[in-house]
Amino acid sequence: MMSTRAGLSVPAIKVSVDWSKPLFAALAALLVALVLLPLSWLIFYAITDDTAKLTLSNFAGLVSDPTLRRPFVIAIGMSLGVGALSCLFATPLAWLVSRTDMPGRSIIRAFVTASFVTPPFLGAIAWEILAAPNSGVLNAIYRWMFDLDPYEHLFDIYTIEGLVFAISCYTFPYVFTLVSNALDRVPSDLEEASAIQGAPLFTTLRRITIPLVMPALLAGTLVAILQALTMFGSPAILALPAGFHVITTKIWSLFQYPAKPHLAAAISVPLLMFAVLLIWTQKKILGRRGYTTLGAKSGAPRLIALGRWTWLAWGFAGALLLLTVILPYLALIETALTRTVGQRLTFDSFTLHHFHFVFFEFSATSLAMRNTFLLGVMTATLGTAIALVTAYIASRNVVKGGWILGYLATVPIAIPGIVLGVGLFLAYSNSFVPLYGTLWILLIAFLTIEMPAAYQQFSSAFKSVHVELEEASRILGATRMTALRTITAPILRSNAVATWCFIFIGTIRELSAMILLTTADTKLVSVIIYDLNESGDLGAISVLGLMLLIVSFAIITVANRLPVFGGAKLISLRG
Amino acid sequence: MSFLELSGLSKRYGPLTVVNNVSLSVERGHVVCLLGPSGCGKTTTLRMIAGFADPNDGEIRVDGKVISAPSGSLPPERRNMSMIFQSYALWPHMTVRENVAYGLQLRKLDKRKIQELVDNILATAKLSNLAERYPGELSGGQQQRVSLARALVVEPNILLLDEPLSNLDSNLREEMRFEIRRLHDQYRYTTIYVTHDQAEAMTTADVVVIMNGGSVEQVGSPEDIYERPISEFVARFMGGSNILRGRALDHRTVDCGGVKLVCANEAPQKDDQVAVSIRQHTITIATQRPEEPTNWAEGVVVRNVYLGANRDYVIELASGERIRVVTSTSSPVENGRTVWCHLPPEHCRILTS
Repeated sequence: MMSTRAGLSVPAIKVSVDWSKPLFAALAALLVALVLLPLSWLIFYAITDDTAKLTLSNFAGLVSDPTLRRPFVIAIGMSLGVGALSCLFATPLAWLVSRTDMPGRSIIRAFVTASFVTPPFLGAIAWEILAAPNSGVLNAIYRWMFDLDPYEHLFDIYTIEGLVFAISCYTFPYVFTLVSNALDRVPSDLEEASAIQGAPLFTTLRRITIPLVMPALLAGTLVAILQALTMFGSPAILALPAGFHVITTKIWSLFQYPAKPHLAAAISVPLLMFAVLLIWTQKKILGRRGYTTLGAKSGAPRLIALGRWTWLAWGFAGALLLLTVILPYLALIETALTRTVGQRLTFDSFTLHHFHFVFFEFSATSLAMRNTFLLGVMTATLGTAIALVTAYIASRNVVKGGWILGYLATVPIAIPGIVLGVGLFLAYSNSFVPLYGTLWILLIAFLTIEMPAAYQQFSSAFKSVHVELEEASRILGATRMTALRTITAPILRSNAVATWCFIFIGTIRELSAMILLTTADTKLVSVIIYDLNESGDLGAISVLGLMLLIVSFAIITVANRLPVFGGAKLISLRG
Repeated sequence: MSFLELSGLSKRYGPLTVVNNVSLSVERGHVVCLLGPSGCGKTTTLRMIAGFADPNDGEIRVDGKVISAPSGSLPPERRNMSMIFQSYALWPHMTVRENVAYGLQLRKLDKRKIQELVDNILATAKLSNLAERYPGELSGGQQQRVSLARALVVEPNILLLDEPLSNLDSNLREEMRFEIRRLHDQYRYTTIYVTHDQAEAMTTADVVVIMNGGSVEQVGSPEDIYERPISEFVARFMGGSNILRGRALDHRTVDCGGVKLVCANEAPQKDDQVAVSIRQHTITIATQRPEEPTNWAEGVVVRNVYLGANRDYVIELASGERIRVVTSTSSPVENGRTVWCHLPPEHCRILTS
């Protein structure tokens, strides 16, 4: 190629077409469709009757009909219980792990991660195996120890208390993570300043440390409450046999024959409002910056020597981990490897019957695994790409009003899964866009659910990449898309891989939204687990559940080995 | 017609006018320095030239063709310019060689040609032995040179530099100033250079443009700007000046608190309130009353500091005003002595405020 400019050896740049503008427009349309379409249909159904006439009778029913009113009261009570219990579990544990010299702190963190990764519905099933009044393993042991009658029992998981406990086992990590991060950031000199004035350890703890982490504690508790309020799996597994409904299970039941979609839409609206209120409050609390980061440069926090209290600390931590992770996992493993529930695992009782059943006999499994895997990969890949480009547009202000895209991408965080399920069902089961019964509707649901977390990952990652890195490539002749492809994306590749992994894990464990959207041809592993629970096949559930967990842990291990936040090279280059 | 022309350029962010009616002509091959304090609009002006920001008013022309105007601008990638950023903006996931080759790859040159051009520029920038390193493994000065090489290798029509030396320590900064000038003299690219450092501007620029509050204060050669400031802002910003206020007696003479100063340039009008600037090192001190009082000011030494190369006095004049005088180190005058300062007419400049 010869010079086009006199005396110069490098030709002038010839730029290919810049596809960014049309792409961004398409993306905006996609996000609007993802978020606004199901919500609009939800509202439309809530305020109309079967003949599409405007009415408020659906909402009137919520107040007048006790079978609709009671689930609200129970759900709110249950969620507050979960919030309180999660706090009780998480706060002491977070303090022990972040602020004391208790041995084995990293093991505890690993177990908390395990609890975090466990799908709550799987935990609920494990607790069914452990603490059902008759067949429950713990009750059997109790009867054997004290030689009691067959109907005596110590625990009954099919109660509101049992439900609160079984949910808290898997929501306390939310509180734990926020509180322990906050504790890590409380500068030790604030505590030392109190100590030097003569305050004993527990006075300092009460007057200084706990008030400083209070916002994180409250925020974490609100997340736990939100999780409990919007959860479908655990209540469906534990509350329905106990004979009561919460909001989510009530919504689901309104889709059983004869379906009442208008009523289901109406009952979804207050749930959506609760969720929005909780998220808003949580943002408000965490938004008051400068509270925990005050003077944060003053070195690592001082660890408190536990001395002879170490055993008590380990007693607490051990009991907690036993209840939330170890016992449930052992129960699943034993159930998977023995023929009947509650049978002790020995060389004689060992069997691979359930594995054989799940993988070779039960026809639905292979289809469900294929669907789950396919949707997991597709959601993770598409979701990562969409989140990357959205975060790029929003944080680089590529087009006027780009921030609106970022806002749209975070909206689904406040849409409970089951509400999204209702909205999508209503939006795509009509004759305009008949997607119900296909994998597409599930893909749309997954993308919507996973978008906020993926977007936030990239949004914070973009803040750590200097905008001049992109401008340097633009001025040398790269279009926006070329710069994004050759500079930004490679720099963020470890973030991208991490985001991909977390979307994948989120996808394979999702149940709340899917329960209303799957059909016989589009079953997923999580839905199969729920179906098998209804038919009482706990052995097969355990096999599937363990498989889900193994895949999740394998992916998390891979993701954790990546230098997620850019690595030292990038940081050293920031001006 | 100049090579690069800015005419009536303005940029507003909401109610804030960042660049206000800036016009400038740049000859081909010249280095033009935009100099001013932070917030004076110099970087925004540069970003408009690069195409990263669009003007609200006015236009930018290169070779007579409009490239930026409120109605629409050529995107940065179509301007055939290069830019050196304050943060260097080296891509951390590419080696030095990959960083430098990037622009050539976008121009779809064949591999052998790219290799040759990259090798040449790396040699010129004294980077040959670092070609396979990653930017994170280089020192600040080396990163700076990679950034220069990357910008020069594509043979840009215009080279833009945004505070390129502000992240370097002072020794290295001085060295790199001459390095940039040396590379410019070799390649002769039309260059726009943004800085807040007067010394940097003096060593690198053919033309210095002083900016203040979004507007151009003065355009001239480094010597013009330093020796013949036209405004109080320029005189203060370039440093080393005393500013005295007074009333014009006639076109050339100003009465500054009883001291009559004959000046080198003309006051706009008789009886105007004007300011006169005089460089600290052009003033001489005498311990005896002069015969002819014009351009002599009587005062008392209130501070004298020995600085090695010279001596720095603060002298309080009869009017109460204090001036600084820098002299040679010989024959010190102690504090409290009455002295007479000579402000030579050829160095007294009347400023339009």
